[in-house]
Amino acid sequence: MASRLLWASRAASYLRISVFHRGFSSVIKDLKYADSHEWVKVDGNSATIGITDHAQDHLGDVVYVELPEVGVTVKQDASFGAVESVKATSDVNSPVSGKVVEVNEELSSSPALVNSSPYEDGWIIKVEMDNAGELKKLMDADQYTKFCEEEDSKH
Amino acid sequence: MKVPRSLQIWRLGIVNYSDALKLQEKLVSDRKIHKISDTLLSLQHPPTYTLGKRRTDHNLLISEAELKKLGAELHYTQRGGDITFHGPHQAILYPIISLRDIGLGARNYVEKLESTMIEIASLYGVKACPGQKGETGIWVGDRKIGAIGVRIQYGITSHGLAFNIDPDLNYFKHIVPCGIADKDVTSLRRETGNGIYEAVEKPAPHVTYSKEHQCHQALKRANGGRADAEMELAELLLHLLLYSLLLPF
Repeated sequence: MASRLLWASRAASYLRISVFHRGFSSVIKDLKYADSHEWVKVDGNSATIGITDHAQDHLGDVVYVELPEVGVTVKQDASFGAVESVKATSDVNSPVSGKVVEVNEELSSSPALVNSSPYEDGWIIKVEMDNAGELKKLMDADQYTKFCEEEDSKH
Repeated sequence: MKVPRSLQIWRLGIVNYSDALKLQEKLVSDRKIHKISDTLLSLQHPPTYTLGKRRTDHNLLISEAELKKLGAELHYTQRGGDITFHGPHQAILYPIISLRDIGLGARNYVEKLESTMIEIASLYGVKACPGQKGETGIWVGDRKIGAIGVRIQYGITSHGLAFNIDPDLNYFKHIVPCGIADKDVTSLRRETGNGIYEAVEKPAPHVTYSKEHQCHQALKRANGGRADAEMELAELLLHLLLYSLLLPF
């Protein structure tokens, strides 16, 4: 992330354009996104869920992840766990409804994976969806990118 | 287009921890459905020890029975952060704010809480600063003067900050505050020596006349308990600082 910013600053000064102060959060194509900054990767009926690069950047260093038990049900837009960073616990919401079939146990010993690899090793839960139609309510990569820009410009 | 924003400040005096928790839960629900605007609770607690979501009770050095004998309560909460103590003459702010509405993340929000405490300390001539990495809170040298523990649900904050104006610091001896051993706890009274009144400089330039007027009124009310008037002044300054930091004009 830091090296991307450095590249961008250098490119910007070469081209003589002004650089925005905020960093560039990555957004992955083919994932779906919730407005509470969680992503979901769909594979048949299985959904892998985590928080986005934008989310981890705004949270700060994650020191603890509260994981749900395997087997519990989750509902779209409802909280299923939390992450703690800089003395703040933030709820994590599920972008889809279904049953938790797997949780990322690695996060108990290495919560910082959420920061360093939010879309890969920092995945949080895997859910068996019970209503694939719910995916329509989520944003695609382009919509989510625009959503983040609008949110960041509020302050 | 910027929607006009307001912050309602509720000054509550000394409130039991459970009551304050219930009130915050209600306000968070109300704020979520836009029934209320951003709200700030300003209060103090009777002697109370609290733990965060990680339940780090190995940092409590006495049993719950001994704690009760001291006249204190113990609460387990969902906020971030480690163990801490709250008591009379420690100013507590619980902002119930929609971070999503203002596009703020947890990290920036916590930094603003820290800045509020640093600024109020400097108004009293005390040089405070944020902690080193992993030690959120406000420090004067290696003595901790302010603590932070926040909860965020639906992008809405609860819990907040606790700033030591003049609490009984002996209560901190029974915990490893915030899980950080070998460091002291301090207060504004301890850092300003002889009297918080004398240490207060003129209110900061961005404070408008009417707010200055309120500050002076609070200063004048020296009759009923000097300590109370000092507390009131400090609380008022805290509100103004947090207000100006959260609602940029």
